Amino acid sequence: MTLSSPARTEQATGPAATPSGVRRPGGRRRPRRAATVRGRRRRVAYLYLLPALLLYVVFEVVPWVRTVELSFYEWDGVTPGTWAGLANYREVLSDPRLTGSLLHALGFVGFYTVLPIAAGLVLSAVVGRHRRTGSSGLARTILFLPQVVPLVAVGVTWRWMYAEDGTINQLLRAVGLGGVTRAWLGDFTWAYVAVGFVGSWVMLGLCLVVFLSGIQKIDPALYEAARIDGAGAVREFTAVTLPGLRPEIGVAVTVTVIAALASFDVVYVTTGGGPGDATMVPGVLIYRLAFTAGQVGTACALAVVLSLIIALVVLAIGRLTKEPS
Amino acid sequence: MASSTPRPPARRAGVLGLTALTLVGLTACGTPGGTAPAGGESPSGAISTELPTEDTTLTLLHTDTSGTIEALAEGFEKEHENITVDLQYTAGDSYNTSLDLTLGSDSAPDLAMLNMLGNTAKAGLLRPLDPYAEAYGWEDTVPTSQLDQWRAEDTGTLGSGTLWAAPAGFSLVGVYYNTELAASLGIEQPTTLDEFEAALQKAKDAGAVPLQQPNQGGQSSYVFQALTNNFQDPALSTEWAFGAPGSTIVSDAGTQAATTLAAWAAAGYIPESSNGTDGSGAVAEFVKGDSLFMLDGNWDATTVDEAMPGTAGFFTLPGTTPDAPSVGVGTSLALAIPAGAEHPDVAAAFLDYLTTPEAAAIEFANGYMPVAHADQVEAPEDSILADYLVAWDKVAQSNGLTPYFNNSTTTMNDTLTSQGQQLVVGRVTPQQYVEALQADWDKAHQ
Repeated sequence: MTLSSPARTEQATGPAATPSGVRRPGGRRRPRRAATVRGRRRRVAYLYLLPALLLYVVFEVVPWVRTVELSFYEWDGVTPGTWAGLANYREVLSDPRLTGSLLHALGFVGFYTVLPIAAGLVLSAVVGRHRRTGSSGLARTILFLPQVVPLVAVGVTWRWMYAEDGTINQLLRAVGLGGVTRAWLGDFTWAYVAVGFVGSWVMLGLCLVVFLSGIQKIDPALYEAARIDGAGAVREFTAVTLPGLRPEIGVAVTVTVIAALASFDVVYVTTGGGPGDATMVPGVLIYRLAFTAGQVGTACALAVVLSLIIALVVLAIGRLTKEPS
Repeated sequence: MASSTPRPPARRAGVLGLTALTLVGLTACGTPGGTAPAGGESPSGAISTELPTEDTTLTLLHTDTSGTIEALAEGFEKEHENITVDLQYTAGDSYNTSLDLTLGSDSAPDLAMLNMLGNTAKAGLLRPLDPYAEAYGWEDTVPTSQLDQWRAEDTGTLGSGTLWAAPAGFSLVGVYYNTELAASLGIEQPTTLDEFEAALQKAKDAGAVPLQQPNQGGQSSYVFQALTNNFQDPALSTEWAFGAPGSTIVSDAGTQAATTLAAWAAAGYIPESSNGTDGSGAVAEFVKGDSLFMLDGNWDATTVDEAMPGTAGFFTLPGTTPDAPSVGVGTSLALAIPAGAEHPDVAAAFLDYLTTPEAAAIEFANGYMPVAHADQVEAPEDSILADYLVAWDKVAQSNGLTPYFNNSTTTMNDTLTSQGQQLVVGRVTPQQYVEALQADWDKAHQ
């Protein structure tokens, strides 16, 4: 998909740029006599970049530019299209169905980002402690599971669990809460929350993977020192683990926010956007507009707006979680 | 982290941008779709009903999971030993999305299954079948209301004009009912809508589920359409489904049907969980035995037969009077000959085979209503299909098959789903419901 390309841009160019000498601290100009040498070195550097750049341009930049281009046309995907100017963008920003889907995606940030990161921090602190005192490989494997299962399988499974006779309702009945059972995904109030929790569950696995690996990099001496100073588990968490995980939290926030805003699989499989439009997200709408409705232009305009929103949000997150130098 | 990478110097960005632009320029720029083949021109020319004598391979692109197409291909191969049918299967969703591209490519198949006409015919991707229909005399063997579903005018209006595809077996939506439960409640097969509603109430009083109805995929639209058909001349329903200019669903019949559907939901005839129940979930509930009716299509006939042999019956939703014509909702598996087909004459011979009594038996055995010669097929014992045959025959005789409202525009299925889910819980009024449907329709047809 072209949606995630803004986030990938810098990943792809960043590391490759390092050996060429472009990335240097300070950034002050070198004396003029070194310029020709530098120029040659730069050309060689571009040569090294070429294979990756070529793939990147063909599979990321071209589709993205094409998406932007198509967003200015009215096109059904088959017959010749006609120039539409900004009409598609006007529709994206005025059609309540389309704006509603953008709001739903923003709301998913709570489920995809806030909940799993909070839960992931607590869980990884607990699992991390156990790893140091005694190992718990099984617990970790189980907690990683959501990240291992394909999203479509996740969606199908949760759809069964949320059904009228599904696991969730069986559990509720078993504890005497038979009165609140319902077909969760068909309920206008609860479907959105139900789908959101599926996202939380999936993202929890990712957050755990990232946080646990982060905890391993924290110097054990810090924990030791904290303990000698009489810190309990909570103090240890806030004073050592949390600050030590700052970069990982940044990564987790970035990835989960993108997943929330660009969500497709889980919604498409569980509710398809229903009941009504209660769980409709841009991802599903883009797919529907482009492939069922034959409104490729509108779909592309929505995709462009969505990727702009994502790019802005990711940029903001990057600023906020940047390490103080 | 993305932001910890320094911003690339301007010059590098310039090179990047230049490369990108060059490549974009080389690959694809300008008006989209400009390279579509022929652009509305469909091939025509001499046709023949003579088949080649040398070995020929007929490629057939399909998305049928019922086994019908496969069995029909085998039957055809048996009759013509020098012809091999090469079946190419693609699963549901991706089939529809990729079909137009495949048909427009250099490797177009000889036959392709269509789920709806959509833009495929308008884009000049198909070969008109009228010369073949005339040569083989399909109009005499196949009821017109069934063949007309695959006709389209140049303006895009469906239901008349050029024939673009031929049916390979029909679906039919109607009322499944539990004959045992009905008998124990003293309910006989209703012959009018009033009797049907009385039966719903009786089942509810007895604590049974009156009408098991999935709606996660918007299946309440079947109820709405079946009711609409009964409140007006079914020909009007057909016109609306086909997008005939000037037709509307914001009519007395449409509003009355939506009102009835909403009232059934409000009265508790339809389970509260219907919005969260999918098709297979509703069938699973129905075969448990405490549901009286279920509005469903023949695609679930085999499942119901296996779970409750001999205790399931079928009828089309009765009209307002006992002598009202029999009306059904349904459409066909359909096959079209792509414009770029290599062996169009052989493909047409295959389509003609679909109208034979042998093919009728194959279509029916796989759960579809036969294209022709329905009187020559027999239902298996203890099967709901026996009732299906009776109902299908009545519908065919009154020429009362109406195509799905869901296919009236490319987006109508989504609109019916979203609106139907809101209607059954009272979030939109019946008036708003039909107006939303008409708004979708107007957008596509005006």
